[in-house]
Amino acid sequence: MLLREGIVRLLEEAGFEVVAQAGDAEDLLRKAVAHRPDVAVVDVRMPPSQTDDGLRAALEIRRRMPDTAVLVLSQYVEEGYALELIAAGAERTGYLLKDRVADVDQFIDAVTRVGEGGSVLDPTVVATLLGRRRRDDPLDTLTDREREVLGLMAEGRSNQALAERLVVTERAVEKHVTSIFSKLGLHPAAEDHRRVLAVLTFLDSQ
Amino acid sequence: MTDSPFQAIIDEQAALRRVAVLVASDPDPQKVFECVCEEVGIVLGVEGTNLARFEADGTQTVLAGWSVNGTPIFPVGTGVPLEGSAAVAKVSRSGRPERVDDYSDLDGELVEMIRAAGIASSVAAPIKVAGRLWGAIVATTGTPNSYPDGTEQRLVSFTKLVAHALANADAREQLATSRARIVEAADAERRRIERNLHDGAQQRLVSLALILREAEAKLKKDPGDARLLLTGAREELTLAIDELRELARGIHPAILTDRGLRVAVEALARRAPMPVRLLDVPAVRLSQPVEEAAYYLVAEALTNAARHARADEVTVRVQQSDGQLAVEVADDGVGGGELRNGSGLCGLRDRFEALGGTLKVDSPQGDGTRVRGELPLLRGL
Repeated sequence: MLLREGIVRLLEEAGFEVVAQAGDAEDLLRKAVAHRPDVAVVDVRMPPSQTDDGLRAALEIRRRMPDTAVLVLSQYVEEGYALELIAAGAERTGYLLKDRVADVDQFIDAVTRVGEGGSVLDPTVVATLLGRRRRDDPLDTLTDREREVLGLMAEGRSNQALAERLVVTERAVEKHVTSIFSKLGLHPAAEDHRRVLAVLTFLDSQ
Repeated sequence: MTDSPFQAIIDEQAALRRVAVLVASDPDPQKVFECVCEEVGIVLGVEGTNLARFEADGTQTVLAGWSVNGTPIFPVGTGVPLEGSAAVAKVSRSGRPERVDDYSDLDGELVEMIRAAGIASSVAAPIKVAGRLWGAIVATTGTPNSYPDGTEQRLVSFTKLVAHALANADAREQLATSRARIVEAADAERRRIERNLHDGAQQRLVSLALILREAEAKLKKDPGDARLLLTGAREELTLAIDELRELARGIHPAILTDRGLRVAVEALARRAPMPVRLLDVPAVRLSQPVEEAAYYLVAEALTNAARHARADEVTVRVQQSDGQLAVEVADDGVGGGELRNGSGLCGLRDRFEALGGTLKVDSPQGDGTRVRGELPLLRGL
């Protein structure tokens, strides 16, 4: 409740229009259908059951309203939730730790990115997936730079954003991406959200 | 030794009656153990007796003892070795009555302890409960070669008759200690949470309050300094949030309650510091106590595999069949682990047994560790 009002204030200050607020999962679905917002910001834990009602509602919104983006906020680093959400379609989808709201710029950036059709995955979730041990780990064949690029791709960053972050040209980023995909035996994906899905599916395999 | 076969039978019957009366009237298992030791000693006319339970880790627990002078000759205690050529050790291997007529020429840690207690010869008989070798009764004397032929048989026939009383008493005692351990584990956990909250988040919030007060005081006179203080406050707060999140996760994994065993075990596998292979983890929801017991078994076994076993790979298998759930975690590490009291696995065994299940650890030296728990699937919970 407290957090919801805080988030509304943040969004309005950043120039977003908040069309509705919902107190439980059912209310959320109803209002999403009524208002067809560009973005729904959803807490995993919501009434009535206070477990993962919010996540289920977010999946339902993605299914029924493909034009509405969802940004799911979670109390814990649960890759399971993030993967479930992204597996249902990485486009217009995001998963962030709730604490990130405190970093206003990062939060607003995430809302903007999912609203523009992109994907957002919390860096801690990506770190857990990258840290996963595998037999004959193909990730061992990557250079440090390529691992960094892979992590940023998994977070849902575009080539342009990658180039800015790494202070290199987009052309250089493309070369890294091609090399990573070929080392991991993945097919290159044209769109960013397909690329996120391919990378995450790979990272979550045993 | 007694005079005639008839007298011996009469003595045995009287002894059995005394054991039976005690079992019926006194629920204290220790008294039953001591009574059996005393009656066996008197019936056989020996100098001392001991009652030992064989443990899963290859040691014995000496539950009680008796001697003509009152105090047990061989000390009562846990973790007593069970190797070499001592009579009780031979019983643990053969499952048959065994004797040693003279300890003076033998070697071994247990033999040393026996000699140190002043014992020169002994006869030991197995105690079997429901076909399983549970332990042994040992009769001892201070002089070599002091048992006539047939002593083993008399010891065996007497122990057969008291085995049931012993097993019941033992089950009661083990239940009481496991209950005590469960309570103690819960208390220890509460203390840990209290300490973490107190030393972590609470300290940070107090220091945060101080920083904010200082910033407030400096707001007018020195806004630049106030701004620095606020930045520090935000960093402190971020740390408090991180700590609280980790603490909450450690108390209980929310994903287990929300999504069940499969998703929660997948999360454990991702975080493990070695590759984990998951086989047949059922996606269906089970009762909460069953899901929790299975989850904590996997978590504990993975922690042990990483910490002690130096394992390269771990396989987790969960199978559901015939109203049972079997959880098995096997690693390819160094082995040689055991179920010690107070260890995480011991607490887990209590949890499994409290739910009517079992937990076994198989960890031969140099050949990996296998932890296997079985649980009845509780209905209506």
